[in-house]
Amino acid sequence: MSEVAPATPLRERAGQALRDTFLQQALTIATTKFIGLRREAFDEFPEGEALRDQARAIKEATLQRLDHWLETLIGSIERRGGHVHYAASAEDARRIVLDIARRTASGMAVKSKSMATEEIHLNEALEAAGVTPVETDLGEYIIQLAHERPSHIIAPAIHKTKGQVAELFARELGRETQPDPEVLTRIARAELREKFLQADLGITGANFAVAETGTVVLVTNEGNGRMVTSLPRVHVALMGVEKVVPSMTDLAVFLAILAKSATGQKLSVYTSLVDGPRRGGELEGPDEFHLVLLDNGRIKQIAGPLREALYCLRCGACLNVCPVYRQIGGHAYGYTYPGPIGILLTAMLNGPESVKDLAHASSLCGACADACPVRIDIPRMLVELRKEVGERRIAPWPERVVFGALGSLLRRPALYRLSAPLGRLFQRPFVRGGVIRRLPLVLGQWTRTRDLPAVAARTFQERWADLEREGRR
Amino acid sequence: MTKAEFLARIRSETGRTRGLFEASPPPRPARPRERLALLRRELAERWRETVDRFTREFERVGGVLHRVGEAREVPDAIARIAGERQLKSVVAWHGDALGLDVADPLAARGLKTSAAPDTEVSLTEREQRRALAAAADLGVTGVDLAIAETGTLVVVSGAGRPRSASLLPACHVAVFDREALVESLLQAGLALEAWHEEAPPEWGGASINFITGPSRTADIELTLTRGVHGPREVHAVFVEQGLTVARRV
Repeated sequence: MSEVAPATPLRERAGQALRDTFLQQALTIATTKFIGLRREAFDEFPEGEALRDQARAIKEATLQRLDHWLETLIGSIERRGGHVHYAASAEDARRIVLDIARRTASGMAVKSKSMATEEIHLNEALEAAGVTPVETDLGEYIIQLAHERPSHIIAPAIHKTKGQVAELFARELGRETQPDPEVLTRIARAELREKFLQADLGITGANFAVAETGTVVLVTNEGNGRMVTSLPRVHVALMGVEKVVPSMTDLAVFLAILAKSATGQKLSVYTSLVDGPRRGGELEGPDEFHLVLLDNGRIKQIAGPLREALYCLRCGACLNVCPVYRQIGGHAYGYTYPGPIGILLTAMLNGPESVKDLAHASSLCGACADACPVRIDIPRMLVELRKEVGERRIAPWPERVVFGALGSLLRRPALYRLSAPLGRLFQRPFVRGGVIRRLPLVLGQWTRTRDLPAVAARTFQERWADLEREGRR
Repeated sequence: MTKAEFLARIRSETGRTRGLFEASPPPRPARPRERLALLRRELAERWRETVDRFTREFERVGGVLHRVGEAREVPDAIARIAGERQLKSVVAWHGDALGLDVADPLAARGLKTSAAPDTEVSLTEREQRRALAAAADLGVTGVDLAIAETGTLVVVSGAGRPRSASLLPACHVAVFDREALVESLLQAGLALEAWHEEAPPEWGGASINFITGPSRTADIELTLTRGVHGPREVHAVFVEQGLTVARRV
């Protein structure tokens, strides 16, 4: 278990999000905008569909021989004078980064946005060890100042108003200002420019790593990724093992679809290819380059039920289209990775126990699978997770009883046929206008937020039998 | 955990995946350098269409394109950009990497200009030059690839090719010619293969950047704001008659 379970139940967290009127508005605006931009980008790019298939094939083939491609990556990085470290758990990864910070006498670390460092809760560990971590992506910087966590994979501070950001800058930076995004951004630029130039350590994630060339690839819009990998003396990149791709040819395929899926841009402003430490003759670049390869539950899914979740590019497209995410936002999920893919990643990192509620936070509508650039079948895996949660007897007991009863009913045709007239009998006091609005006792949980269709006056089976009898079939 | 232990864990899992995947990833080009040279010859025949498409896409992402006839007109173009914005100081790539020497001509036009050295220098000098770049108003760089499909400038770092020139000043001016043009991202992938055919390559530094317009963010209420960390403005000067860059690949 690498992450602490949320203190309040999912229903409460979701309720809180639903009552937050600003959040509701922000979520609607942001997700609607991202959906539109993504659609326009792919409409203009007819070859996109074939590239999505190719990208998926590359992910499958790479995972199939992950040992080979990682070994190739390690060799390529070491040939360029970089160092590779191996972290089985979040704790290992934190210790490796802290050791590097200590050995290089680093007092301040600048970070570019990285979900992997969020996943291992690196900032808290750095602070405890006396190293000041500074998030440099504007959204991440804002939530770091506010002591919060990201609410969207690519837009971490969408839950904050410009007024709240202005108050935050006044309180934390002593800079009184108008709530104007332009002015606020300029303040952040000045504050963070100083940090980039002072910092000893640069910490990043990795969108990809190219095995054959030993190249770590970072995609940003602000340019902070470039700063972090060029100005400090030491660069540490933390990367899940699944992010490796074989070649530059493969990388081009992913670049062609990643930004379109995330923000609808043809390409993000900066795609930075890092080929290890500074080379002779260069004015800038780190003296030391370290790559930390992170397992943290991933490796045992290579042949496991959540295998496909390892294809994820972290573009956020499935969040934007998800009817659940669009209502409750990222924080209500309670773990580092929100949204449909987040449920699977949470199960991968923290075990199925951690998603016994979240596995149901999906309508299984399939919008996520359609939006996913590598066509991850998220709904299928959510159903499997629900099954596993059920089998392990970690689902809530009323659910287990009801589904157990339903299961034995469906397995016995005679009993099933009998259930229609019995159902009609028992439902009588509850039916209003063809639906059941409220059920008694524990069953009331189900009808609290939705209606149950009533058993029909004549079921299909009964009507079919009638037709056969009348010889009209 | 050691490398051997880590890889052994992965191997024991990949051993169980036989038959789970039926993937056939796209084939990779053999001999990418030769392929790239061939592609460049093909592209040379339709550079006009390609530069027009590049211009459209570059302007769409917020870039400003300037066209000049000959290389000797480049300093005037840069001085004009600086003059309109009252910019005073310039850091530039070394003349050989850029394809022309801009330091003296820009100094003659009243701009405080420093061009990067193309050999290894001391740590002290590197720090001084970094401070210079951080204080500069405008950075001048070359372009290794200009991708028409996306309006992207690709710059490879190296000796005489400081990363900071396209990053620290608020205004970036990139100078290129038809040789740099490619049509698509996938063609750029071929160039990346060619550049990495030897690892580590004999030329180039440790950083390759695809730059698609000015630095931007929409992190506060989705309001698009330019110049958050990198340049607020990106200009590209296209030299019709070509530059005299010694192209490595």
